[in-house]
Amino acid sequence: MSIPADLMYSKDHEWVRLDGDTATFGLTDHAQEALGDIVFVEIPEEGRVVAAGDAFAVVESVKAVSDAYAPVPGEVIEGNYELEATPEKVNEDPYGDGWIAKVKVTDGDTSHLMDADAYAKFLEE
Amino acid sequence: MSDNTTLAKTPLFDEHIRLGGKMVPFAGFEMPVQYPLGALKEYQAVRDGKAGLFDISHMGQVRVTGANALPFLQQMTTNDVSKLTVGQVHYSSLLNEQGSFIDDITTYKISDTEYYLCINAANRHKDVAHLQAHTTSFDVIVTDESDDTVLLALQGGEAQKLLQTLTTTDLETIGYYRFSQLKLNGDNAIVSRTGYTGEDGFEIYIPNAASKAIWQKLEDAGAVPIGLAARDMLRTEMGYALYGHEISDSVTPVEAKLMWITKMDKGDFLGRAAVESRKAEGAKLSMIALKLTERGIPREHYKVVADGKEVGEVTSGMHSPLAGCGVAIAYVEPEYAVAGNLAIDIRGKAVAAERTTTPFVRSNVRR
Repeated sequence: MSIPADLMYSKDHEWVRLDGDTATFGLTDHAQEALGDIVFVEIPEEGRVVAAGDAFAVVESVKAVSDAYAPVPGEVIEGNYELEATPEKVNEDPYGDGWIAKVKVTDGDTSHLMDADAYAKFLEE
Repeated sequence: MSDNTTLAKTPLFDEHIRLGGKMVPFAGFEMPVQYPLGALKEYQAVRDGKAGLFDISHMGQVRVTGANALPFLQQMTTNDVSKLTVGQVHYSSLLNEQGSFIDDITTYKISDTEYYLCINAANRHKDVAHLQAHTTSFDVIVTDESDDTVLLALQGGEAQKLLQTLTTTDLETIGYYRFSQLKLNGDNAIVSRTGYTGEDGFEIYIPNAASKAIWQKLEDAGAVPIGLAARDMLRTEMGYALYGHEISDSVTPVEAKLMWITKMDKGDFLGRAAVESRKAEGAKLSMIALKLTERGIPREHYKVVADGKEVGEVTSGMHSPLAGCGVAIAYVEPEYAVAGNLAIDIRGKAVAAERTTTPFVRSNVRR
């Protein structure tokens, strides 16, 4: 189970990479493994405004439909539209090519998120 | 199935655990939904000409013996059992008085006085009670052998080659929907060239005690264990009906497009009169096959829409890796089975679909 040290994590199993006021979202390794083979990703449109905890993307595996929730609020500035053709990248490279969307953060409060150590403990519980 | 119901285990449960199978409740059993390979790769192994190995022991087996076995089964099942020859299997069903499905089954003719039925797991006790309740005027014995029998499916291009390593009977002599009673790894087995995947392959009935060794030998020979998720993908891509989805006690063979296994000219049978009148009055709903022309995955219970209103419902749906699009089986109001622009409502968005035929992808069964 991979949990990169430079990311932050939500209880809904999304990761966030903060770079200035830009945040990149994706699903954690744990999430992609639990979902199984991902065959469809609905990417949010650019310009969409999401609150923390809003469903911002839909991820479908062979058997199930799941929402992905925004870990921090913001406006979507870029979606990883390549996932429409290659949804399996979420399974293969969840922290890299499997990223889902980038947002311009409107509230940089990250106190509700976990660092890698806390997320690892959270998964053990 | 309520949470506190104790789930049954098949005799191969320990094999599934050893293989890392992800176990889920299914029809009262703990069954592997997938192994570490994952549902997609399992599906691909079967489609790509390997041999997929399925534990489908949750399914039930019923032996019908006696001088009246034939007239009994003519009365209880919809297909024409008089047309079966020894060593032949056919697809059939059990109907209630209302003409709707109690179950869909396969019937094996062992001799003029002995038949073997394979029934769905979830319907097992209902089917057995139904059959036994109707034996009164027949010289026939109905025996539920489900608990003593392991059913394996070995499906895919390499199935025959792998299975042949366990028997001296030439499997080439078993035709499509034919079976043989043979020795498999030294144990008695019924082996039929049947399946639920659209690939060449076999279904294999063996005693519980023989199952572990046969499973392991097939695995060692290169068979790929396949879970329920891939099994459902394989059958949906073929458009095969699944009880509880396409067929149930609320539809008749008229709606389910299963008149081909409902032989109205064979004489009377249970449910015949109701099917006759449903035919005369016309189906209330029609089963159709759809493929999406836009991106999306249709799933069970999604609504089919046309002319701005709901006209039907999806019973099975998936993303077909081979077709490269979403495919679905659905029941729609009869007029929309033939005309009108259809779409499937996916999270509030009407995703365009067009009517097509099943199988959705090429079948490789050996006819």
